[in-house]
Amino acid sequence: MNVNRRIFLKQGALAFVCLGAGPMWGPNFLRNTAFAAELGSRRDNKILICIFQRGAVDGLSMVVPHGDPHYYLNRPDISLKAPSQAAGAEGVLDLDGYFGFNPALKPLLPIFQQGQLAAIQACGSPNSSRSHFESQDLMESGVDEGNGTRDGWLNRLLGCCPEDAAKQSAFRAVSTTAITPRSLQGEQDSLAIRDLDTFGLAGDKSVMLPGPTGTANGFENMYASAVDTVLHGTARESFDALGMLDKIRNGAYVPANGAAYPNSPFGKNLRQISQLIKANVGLQVAFAEVDGWDTHANQGNAKGTLSTRLGQFGQAIAALHQDLGDRMSDVVLVTMSEFGRTVHENGNRGTDHGHGTCFFVMGGPIKGGKVYGDWPTLAPDKLFQNRDLAVTTDFREVFGEIVSRHFGVPMADMPTLFPQYSVDAARFRNFYAA
Amino acid sequence: MVEKMGGIQAYLQQQLHPETIDDSAVEQQVAQLDMLQMSSAQLLSLYKEERQAAKAKREEQAKSAAATATAPAPADMQEQPANAALTPQLTPTARLGKMLAAARSVSAVGQLQQAKLIRAADSNRQLQEVLVDFWSNHFNIDVKKSLDRVLKVADDREVIRPHILGRFRDLLEASAKSPAMLIYLDNALSSVPRTVKMGEVMVTQRLRDQMMANGNGALAPEVPKVGDKKGGINENYGREIMELHTLGVDGGYTQKDVQEVARCFTGWTVNRDTGEFQFRPRMHDNGEKVVLGHVIPANGGMQDGETVLDILAASPATAHHISLEMCERFVSDDPPPALVDRIAGVFTSTSGDLRAVTEAILTSPEFLSSSDYNTKIKSPLEFAVSAVRATGSTLTTPQAGLLEKAVSTMEGSGTLGRQQAVDRINKRPRQSLNWHIYDLGEPLFGCAPPTGYSEVSRTWVSPGALIERLNFALALTEQKVSDVKFDAQSLFAGIDLDQPDAVLDHAVDTLLQGRVSDATRKVLQQTVVPQDGADKTVNPNKLVALIIGSPEFQRK
Repeated sequence: MNVNRRIFLKQGALAFVCLGAGPMWGPNFLRNTAFAAELGSRRDNKILICIFQRGAVDGLSMVVPHGDPHYYLNRPDISLKAPSQAAGAEGVLDLDGYFGFNPALKPLLPIFQQGQLAAIQACGSPNSSRSHFESQDLMESGVDEGNGTRDGWLNRLLGCCPEDAAKQSAFRAVSTTAITPRSLQGEQDSLAIRDLDTFGLAGDKSVMLPGPTGTANGFENMYASAVDTVLHGTARESFDALGMLDKIRNGAYVPANGAAYPNSPFGKNLRQISQLIKANVGLQVAFAEVDGWDTHANQGNAKGTLSTRLGQFGQAIAALHQDLGDRMSDVVLVTMSEFGRTVHENGNRGTDHGHGTCFFVMGGPIKGGKVYGDWPTLAPDKLFQNRDLAVTTDFREVFGEIVSRHFGVPMADMPTLFPQYSVDAARFRNFYAA
Repeated sequence: MVEKMGGIQAYLQQQLHPETIDDSAVEQQVAQLDMLQMSSAQLLSLYKEERQAAKAKREEQAKSAAATATAPAPADMQEQPANAALTPQLTPTARLGKMLAAARSVSAVGQLQQAKLIRAADSNRQLQEVLVDFWSNHFNIDVKKSLDRVLKVADDREVIRPHILGRFRDLLEASAKSPAMLIYLDNALSSVPRTVKMGEVMVTQRLRDQMMANGNGALAPEVPKVGDKKGGINENYGREIMELHTLGVDGGYTQKDVQEVARCFTGWTVNRDTGEFQFRPRMHDNGEKVVLGHVIPANGGMQDGETVLDILAASPATAHHISLEMCERFVSDDPPPALVDRIAGVFTSTSGDLRAVTEAILTSPEFLSSSDYNTKIKSPLEFAVSAVRATGSTLTTPQAGLLEKAVSTMEGSGTLGRQQAVDRINKRPRQSLNWHIYDLGEPLFGCAPPTGYSEVSRTWVSPGALIERLNFALALTEQKVSDVKFDAQSLFAGIDLDQPDAVLDHAVDTLLQGRVSDATRKVLQQTVVPQDGADKTVNPNKLVALIIGSPEFQRK
């Protein structure tokens, strides 16, 4: 792709592999190399963390419209109680007299009150297929109809913010998933690593020799000379990452400020993203996903399946916020889901596939403490197709505001990012402090 | 060439009739997996016993934890996970041991996974096993969903395996009536909304009294009041049967069709005692329905669902969708549209005869032609198993407990303490084949979304996954795959290891059928042939690891 990366690969990653011996190379042995100094110096970059709640989360149970009487009429069994003395801990955590957090999201309340977290209600895509697969595919493509785009919107974002090629990091875009999510698929390099803690080659000492006869070098050389472009590119990214990762693994990671990540894969994902941010490896875009939101049956209210999920979700995000501390000034985190769920509960105390849902935005530059968006209400005549929460904020207005104000992507690039939609700054919700 | 083609044809014909192929050695091994022989009723009762025991234990622990709690948490942010109080403070190893001891029914999944691996590695009926994998993925069921951890056993045995070369309509019906599917896509719960009458109140009250008397109070149902509204339509299955199982997402159905199909299938549910399919007339919506323009008259009862199956199985959209998916699996990620249309024609003209459809694909010039051949990247399962097969390695019985560990990590993050176990196991130097496939990104029977794994093989390639493939190559040849015995001596029997060229030729012939690029061959030579003169003895383990990790071996 460019000379500097090739040099880095050959002098950096390859050299590191040569030195490695035994299962997982020693964590610290390269910290004194010339590259280490350069790595630690990347403090200036803006960072976006995208979290996809796969399965269509019930936004009405995240940020509860306790001031809307239709909410209670539609949900006799699964509504969350309005805040009151009687409701106690089962009542929602009031935000503005009309909306309230699900009590399971209590860890996020202080961040909302400090003004670094905001919600955007009735947000989503105009697409109405109600298919998980299609809707996720389209949202991650940055479009709302057809068969999606060839690449993901985050990958195009990387193309729209050209980095100084010489400085470009193997960790510029990282997904904490086993395979590359649709959002990051495309021409720009990105990494998909489910678990950074255990990412590495674990081989016998006798084959992990330095020089051209080492097995690790053999692997790398085979892929470097392969004409198979798909595998060639993937391998180059893999070995780049291995080299760099080796330098930032520095014993056990201890989160700062007493942050406690929950014991869930998602908690671990956010912990590792935080670790990468603090290692100053040039991370710009991070992606994590969390599933379990497809609550067709017995979703519960203050207690139950959904609240348990939300509890872990909120706790992980709050831990990241606390762990990053001052670094949050460079970070924006956005949560999304393919669609919301029916306003009316179904026959199994659950909800079916709906339309609008709720997104969160969090970070130093966010004007938080507010629920953004035009609330369409849940009155029968305001519902989308007579059943679902309407969408009053297109997901691309949220993404568009973030990329234009956080990364300085010019409005002229918006059609590239979001080909089927005309992003208009006049429609931005202005949750980002200018 | 003609002779070779003839050989292929004869092989294909035999594979298309797997019952004519002797596979007794493999079936004997599978027969030893006892839980796979059990009925759903037996498995369910085992599962329920365990759930009750686990629940009682958790409650006891919660009580003792509450009793020992001293002060409230200092601040909101320091709050422990909601269920931390329920987690015994054990070391990860001790907790893992307890989990295993308490989770026998979970090993039903472990046995399913093991049977799949045994058959994939050693069965003579290879086409059958590929088709079982394809159709299990098409009618995906995630064993992490409630009772499916035991009901998937019958789905594999009675729904998928007997129908893969039969009529699509029969397979579709078997799946529609599969208790595991009814639970996975929530149709078991879908019912017409109803008003509770006195009879139901009395029956439920009696049941509750009984359960309370037997000490099962925690599981006893709530007693409804006369006049309560209960039940309602659940759209999940109604949507996925059209989007995923038959018509495809562009198959021309509407949201209204989804609701109508869901109404047709109300009452198709599962008997919670026997674990068998059951139609419950009381749950069924008896009104008239209109599905894709077909009027389904009122009071059709169970016939409504059968009619929907007829409509969907006969639709040209279904023929096209199934053909596309099969061509993606067998030919290429982007199969030629003309091929897909031709196969769809076979599907339609044979009324969905899957043997004829499979045969048409496997005898197509596109399948046999070299340009489309060798283009798909192996899935993790295909990669790992092909390495086992190509090297002539033997699959042994996994050490006690290993399978259960793999399964326990699939239980989702909602369950207590799993992550510690995952962390723990990730650091293990030895793990089972099943585990490696999990790490490569394809937990067997564990794909959460109803879409199943993508048939587009490019999606399996990511930097993380590639490194895991290299790790598998190393682990296999270093005897670190706990249930696979790799034997370099027999793989290179009769070859002088100090003759590098002969060794290389033999390895490339055996493992890659001779298909290797000059560039790869050159690197292999550089890496395995000692450069410093005197001793030219090749390390066979290293050579095999390199080949399994090579770009060529990732493709099929």
